[in-house]
Amino acid sequence: MNDAETPEFKGRGGEGRSGGGEGRGGERGERGERKGGGKGGFFRRRKTCKLCSEKVDYVDYKNTKLLLAFIPERAKILPRRMFGTCAPCQRKVRTAILRARQMALIPYSTE
Amino acid sequence: MSLRQYEILFIAEQNLGEAEVDTLTATVKGFIEKENGTVEKVEKWGKKRLAYPIGKNREGSYVLMLANSPGSSISEVERRMRVTDGILRFLAVRIDAEMKKADRKRAIRGKKESTRRASVREKDRAFEGGAQ
Repeated sequence: MNDAETPEFKGRGGEGRSGGGEGRGGERGERGERKGGGKGGFFRRRKTCKLCSEKVDYVDYKNTKLLLAFIPERAKILPRRMFGTCAPCQRKVRTAILRARQMALIPYSTE
Repeated sequence: MSLRQYEILFIAEQNLGEAEVDTLTATVKGFIEKENGTVEKVEKWGKKRLAYPIGKNREGSYVLMLANSPGSSISEVERRMRVTDGILRFLAVRIDAEMKKADRKRAIRGKKESTRRASVREKDRAFEGGAQ
């Protein structure tokens, strides 16, 4: 099911959602490229996987600086659609976050 | 018996002094060596504030070890660590496979990445063309 959705999300399906996301994530603007969408003057951004483009080969649970980027505010792991992480990278991030939480390097939650 | 590389991180309780943490480290080292393993590197992070309190501890001393150990005996090392007083938490992660993968990826990156990007862009274009 996930596989079937991905191309749609990357293609036209992404328009509405990334438009809505713009307000929330300010820094997202510098990532991905701006492209004219098919309809109604929407701008669609293609989000790229941050880890792939920055060539992180091994997501280390000890690298809290990197992991904290994926758990803003409430310390919840952000879904893939917010960051545009590719599936293999997201899995690595998830594992690393779970390990770091266990070792009290990053919080489970914040008030 | 082939050895696997493990990264063992443990947290010592906050009320232990530096000397006590050192003896604790030696104890853990003894566990590994008893099971035919070797310790390559010991890295002391010192006292760090925990992200959340564990029991009554708000701080803990972190010690990181790089060990080569047979895969069958790491569970015994873990069991012994579990029953050792003074260790709050520990985590043993096998890293040789991951490191190998990372090295391979680094080696073949150059050309692979450029071709993949091009193909993704092409697919996107094809999709847009089909939609209109």
